[in-house]
Amino acid sequence: MADISLASTLPGTSRLADLRRKMFPNVLSGAVSVLGIAVTAWLFWILLRWAVLDAVFFGTPEECKAASGACWAIVTDRWRLMFFGLYPYEQHWRSALAFLTLIGVIVLSCVPYFWTAVRLPILWVVSLTIFIVLMRGGVFGLSVVTEEKWGGLTLSVFIFAATALIGMPLAIALALLRRSTLPLVSTLAAVVIDCVRSLPLVTILFAVAVVVPIIAPNMPSTKLTRVIFGMSIFFAAYQAEILRSGIQSLPMGQEEAAKALGIGYWNRTTRIILPQAFRRALPPTVSQFAISFKEVSLVIVIGIFDFLASGNAAYGSGDWAFAYVEVYVFMAFIYFLFVFSLSRYGAHLERRMRVGK
Amino acid sequence: MTAAVTIANINKYYGLFHALRDVSLTVREGEKVVICGPSGSGKSTLIRCINRLEEHQSGTIDVLGTILDDNTGHIDEIRREVGMVFQNFNLFPHMTILENCVLAPMLVRKTPRAEAEDMAMHYLERVRIPEQANKYPGELSGGQQQRVAIARALCMKPKIMLFDEPTSALDPEMISEVLDTMVGLAQDGMTMICVTHEMGFARQVADTVIFMDRGEIIEKGDPQSFFDNPKHERTRLFLSQILAH
Repeated sequence: MADISLASTLPGTSRLADLRRKMFPNVLSGAVSVLGIAVTAWLFWILLRWAVLDAVFFGTPEECKAASGACWAIVTDRWRLMFFGLYPYEQHWRSALAFLTLIGVIVLSCVPYFWTAVRLPILWVVSLTIFIVLMRGGVFGLSVVTEEKWGGLTLSVFIFAATALIGMPLAIALALLRRSTLPLVSTLAAVVIDCVRSLPLVTILFAVAVVVPIIAPNMPSTKLTRVIFGMSIFFAAYQAEILRSGIQSLPMGQEEAAKALGIGYWNRTTRIILPQAFRRALPPTVSQFAISFKEVSLVIVIGIFDFLASGNAAYGSGDWAFAYVEVYVFMAFIYFLFVFSLSRYGAHLERRMRVGK
Repeated sequence: MTAAVTIANINKYYGLFHALRDVSLTVREGEKVVICGPSGSGKSTLIRCINRLEEHQSGTIDVLGTILDDNTGHIDEIRREVGMVFQNFNLFPHMTILENCVLAPMLVRKTPRAEAEDMAMHYLERVRIPEQANKYPGELSGGQQQRVAIARALCMKPKIMLFDEPTSALDPEMISEVLDTMVGLAQDGMTMICVTHEMGFARQVADTVIFMDRGEIIEKGDPQSFFDNPKHERTRLFLSQILAH
């Protein structure tokens, strides 16, 4: 008893004792522990010197070459290219505002207050309209900037948001159709899902970007809209299966109880089945979002100037060519920020939902 | 008295398995029917046919004057008037007790929320758990959950209540609280069809007790003659097994 109360009042002491017991139980283990700590500390020191102490944060390529550390000067010099791509330089504020609008709507979509069939669509329609007006211009005295000039992180986040926005309803529809009691409908949904899943995303991107204009030259669509459409279908095929697994994991009794109460198909599906299926499918859904965000970088192969392509361009112009490591580390950091926030949010949702279980 | 449910010669197959064989049964308004029988005898299937959770292949089912057929309008009409309580409660776990109770009245009967909540609280008081209204099903005991399930069904103001082994999934000490609620309901004149092995309950409230085996109704009678003087050998065997402990 005395030990327990001591441990609970002095957690630091007990943790230290615990650490000593685990790392230095005998001479050999103690020696290995000391070596391990020394190597880790050494690696950390090297990294610290490279990334911070000897690094150049502002300056010219020449100053970077003279220093032994990281050349963050390329990021501070070229960040606008990475964030906004080929968007006209003096109009960058529009792309920046559009980017913040997207981040804002994504954050707001995470707030339970907006999770209704009315609020969420209004939120997205309004903010996507703002996004497109800002980016494209042509109204309110804004000069027209065509889609070919859109680029950078703004474009990557836009493609991701649009993919999820179109893909999610499509996924719900496919998952429900696949569970239809009409054999023709369910088979058709299964064939669509399996066909899309059997294709690599790159082939789908090539098809919508290159093949579609050849077979249907008069189709009134831009490459960007076709790419978003292709990515949405790809997202939907995977997400539909994730949702279906969530639906099938529900006890039969849930649907039966709703039927017995006289609740019709749509209300049963939207109020009883889907909310519970989404909860159960939350961990794979979060991964699917993370995967989709990173898959946007594949659009580089069909000449869309996304974040990754802009990063390549940032060090691609002669004098900065040596600093590609810094560019990639920076881009990895941005990707990490997005995906890590997403997974933390997913963990938060799981904790919150455990209450209503 | 008029008939609440008329089942005439229904047959039900699961693939090749003949689950219900030519079953006929009439339940009067206000009548309390208890159905018992060994597992797999078709008793659950029979009451699940009444609200179309299972589809019968031949014969007719008439519920309160509506013929149960493929017409979804008819199915909806019957489900509105027939409440059901399940073995596993089947409360909606993502909604509070109160939300569970007001959902169907608001969606199906278009009752305004305030009125639906008043009604829900009325029935929750009747099953003696109004204080749990804002909790989630997972926070309640099995007996409490089953009483909520009864209140939820009653909120639709059904004319007939079906009970599908309502106490079979409960710990022994919680069975009586659920049975007490059912007895109260019976005393208020509800038409009830209960699949249960609670023979004490059957003696106390049933007007008719039915024994089913292998998809057929073997014996049917008032509790007195059913328990004290069963006619069929199979009924006698079943009763001796179930009353032995």
